[in-house]
Amino acid sequence: MIDALEVAERAVAAAEADEAEAFVHAERSGLARFAGDEIHQPTLTDNASVQLRVARAGRVGSATTNRLSEEGLRAAARRAAEAADRAPADPGFDGLARPAEIPRVEGFDDATARLSPEEQAVRARAAIDAADGLGVYGYYTSGVTRLAVASSSGLRGEQELTDATALVLAAAAGASGYASATSWRDGDVDPAAVAREAAEKAARTRGAVELEPAKYRAVLEPYALSELLEYFSFDAFNGPALLEERSYLAGRIGERLFDESVTIVEDPLDPAGLPKAFDFEGTPRRRVPLVEDGVARGAVWDRSASARAAGYESTGHAGPPEMRIYGAFPIALSVAPGDAASVDELAELVEDGIHVTRLHYLSVVDPREGIVTGMTRDGTFRIRDGRVAEPLVNLRFTVSVPEVLADVPGLTRERMLVNRSDFYGERYPFGVLCPALATASFAITGCGSGPGL
Amino acid sequence: MRELCDEAIAAALATGASYADVRAMTRRTQSLATKNGRVEAVADNETEGIGVRVLVGGAWGFACDRRLTPEGAREAARRAAAFAAAAAAERAERALTPVEPTTGTYRTPLELDPFDVALDDKIALCLRAEEGMRAAHSDVKVTSATLRALRERKLLVTSDRVVVDQETVECGGGIDAIASRDGVVQVRSYPSAHGGASAQAGWEYVEELGLDREAPRVGEQAAALLRADPCPSGVTTLVIDAEQLQLQVHESVGHPIELDRVYGTEAAYAGTSFLAPGDLGSLRYGSELMNVTADSTTPRGLGTFGFDDEGVPARREAIVEAGVLRNFLTSRETAARIGAGGGGSMRADGWNRMPLVRMTNLHLEPGEGSFEDLLADVDDGIYVETNKSWSIDDKRLNFQFGTQAAWKIERGRLGRMLRDATYTGITPQFWGGLDAVAGPEAWRMAGLTNCGKGQPGQIAHVSHGASPARFRRVQVGVRS
Repeated sequence: MIDALEVAERAVAAAEADEAEAFVHAERSGLARFAGDEIHQPTLTDNASVQLRVARAGRVGSATTNRLSEEGLRAAARRAAEAADRAPADPGFDGLARPAEIPRVEGFDDATARLSPEEQAVRARAAIDAADGLGVYGYYTSGVTRLAVASSSGLRGEQELTDATALVLAAAAGASGYASATSWRDGDVDPAAVAREAAEKAARTRGAVELEPAKYRAVLEPYALSELLEYFSFDAFNGPALLEERSYLAGRIGERLFDESVTIVEDPLDPAGLPKAFDFEGTPRRRVPLVEDGVARGAVWDRSASARAAGYESTGHAGPPEMRIYGAFPIALSVAPGDAASVDELAELVEDGIHVTRLHYLSVVDPREGIVTGMTRDGTFRIRDGRVAEPLVNLRFTVSVPEVLADVPGLTRERMLVNRSDFYGERYPFGVLCPALATASFAITGCGSGPGL
Repeated sequence: MRELCDEAIAAALATGASYADVRAMTRRTQSLATKNGRVEAVADNETEGIGVRVLVGGAWGFACDRRLTPEGAREAARRAAAFAAAAAAERAERALTPVEPTTGTYRTPLELDPFDVALDDKIALCLRAEEGMRAAHSDVKVTSATLRALRERKLLVTSDRVVVDQETVECGGGIDAIASRDGVVQVRSYPSAHGGASAQAGWEYVEELGLDREAPRVGEQAAALLRADPCPSGVTTLVIDAEQLQLQVHESVGHPIELDRVYGTEAAYAGTSFLAPGDLGSLRYGSELMNVTADSTTPRGLGTFGFDDEGVPARREAIVEAGVLRNFLTSRETAARIGAGGGGSMRADGWNRMPLVRMTNLHLEPGEGSFEDLLADVDDGIYVETNKSWSIDDKRLNFQFGTQAAWKIERGRLGRMLRDATYTGITPQFWGGLDAVAGPEAWRMAGLTNCGKGQPGQIAHVSHGASPARFRRVQVGVRS
């Protein structure tokens, strides 16, 4: 792989500008995707690109290229300069990235970085072989990502990170179960164990029945809770969305909004997650309290938005340039654990309700009210008398996330890192660290297909 | 690039591969976003590389390299073959439908290259449109405008002696106004939400959109929504505008007819399909007024090409005829497996992704009459416009859509405006309730650039055409 910092420095040197900042993103990864009993889409990716931002007379332009030769970098510098010259001067321009102390984070494992394609295929095969007669659908992937930032003002930062994920849907006609595991250490990820968990879940989903739409008490496994919170966070914990009043937290910072057992932080530095040292503007990433004991505390910010909002500063949450119009997003949500020893104990707290393993195809219906819709899948069950009972078909839910979090009978002590990257574009692994959660209100608004293929 | 592709094919076959295809590509994209009167982002990205897909011992392998050099080409081929060999289990050679040896080219017809339009002119258009939305009403608090352009050059060479050189150009844009007052927040967009609309065309397409022309209406409607009543709940007659119906076609027809989903290879992520291979030619998808066509030749369609990523020529084929399922979207492999169709829907998101079965351009064919004629037969119903939220289950049966705006239909005419409209249904029942499609004069096509599928994830650009249509017995106004 390339020396990312060296490329970033060469890109800054190629710039013809008052200020310049380069962000390098390099990836070498393998993803062995399987379906049924075969690895059907094995993909090896090897790429590196540099995003160069320049400022000329208060005007900012940027260009990205994966041609890292001197000629390629000079061409990118010309395109960035042309973009800057064509842009109107921005009176609020606060300069490009300045020198800063980049935090040292964990997140790199040499053994994971050295995994060969053949070893990645062996891990995928282990999942296939462990599924106990059911078809398995999913993947094993591992990769190395190198990030580096340099600026003409002297900022220098680099990070090398690894990630590994096994994801398995075990399925047959009328039955399906889901499980996944992710870590920055391949050694923490056991594809066979993931497949066995998925198969065990699948075996319990045969004979699924429909459920009358209504509000139910519910247990949400970490797979489900992580996705629900991620969609809620797009607006709720997005700094610019606070100002634009799209966020449920707008005007409510400091108020108790949720059950006092709910504490959520954005923690990109936590070694239990997938740590990140700096954002796409080169700003050091920070731990940000979002909800403490049910009280709304804040949101995440990037540099350009915080510069225009009095009283705020960047928390190191700038995304890639094409995403910045949507604001700043958490990339490492972390939900505090509770006291429950197991998911079964949460079912006891729920007594009468539903158990949800995983969600599917979420969409934000109303960002201001925190309303999200989607489907359950691959392991939805009725809870009766405090125990998981008969399987249910996939259910349509349309929930107010604040209502889901308003009355929380319990959370598990154990937490799980759930991968939330689907590996679109350049590899940037991220996830949510969360327990399972019991809620007093989860609105089911319809029934869909049954489990299975 | 031809020599590089030949080098990669030779390297792949030398490893024992029974088949190989190679795509050498360059892609440039430009995106511009303004927000609240200032330039939020100007991104000018270029990427290039080579992707090699091989069949070794009946197993697929894919690898890529950003270097457009002989070494990069050979290395990608070698790694793809090694990964395929590692993935291979004991199985027979994989059957592919035949493809004719071809040498072909394709270029997007266009009048004005979007990359030749000065960036300051683009910025001025965005800022002008934003000003138009803001000036419309003091409750408009956030405005934004986006423009995009893409040029992609792709050389495909396969071991079946297909050599195809294609260059496509896309552009598009959109505007959004967010109005807020007393804790109520509403959004209105044009020509569609989620980044606007695009076409495979020159800058003339963006000029025709008239973003600045439509801006005052968008701003006014965003503010008007603040004062509108919420859409009531109930089962009613629903008239859907062309833009929302395009997404309805995409989600509830386009994805279920992808034959790889039917066979389960997307099960873990995007999901499967309520359709089975045996449904071909017999399944009743909807009413007799439902006619859906897949057409990779549609002028200006984002799914238009000369040849797909397996070298199969572009074509137009009926998917649903008079409500009956007639074809799936196929690859050479899935077509061979089902024994019908000839491929033609394989598309990859760039040089570093493997081709998948994807939509091209999928259209609801027009019926007859005008939009007003659709309303005339409605005594009491709801008309909805412009998507706001969308969700559908893993087999593409249970869906729920929200729209930005709605109006009550009373005695054949549009009445008062409604906000927060949603509707939900089960795919075949919903399409079974289709009882009128407006005629060709009302037919509109738009391209979307956010269709996700595959692991690792891939984004496809696809277009859909539709006329407004009327559906009976639809559940509206879903409450949390």
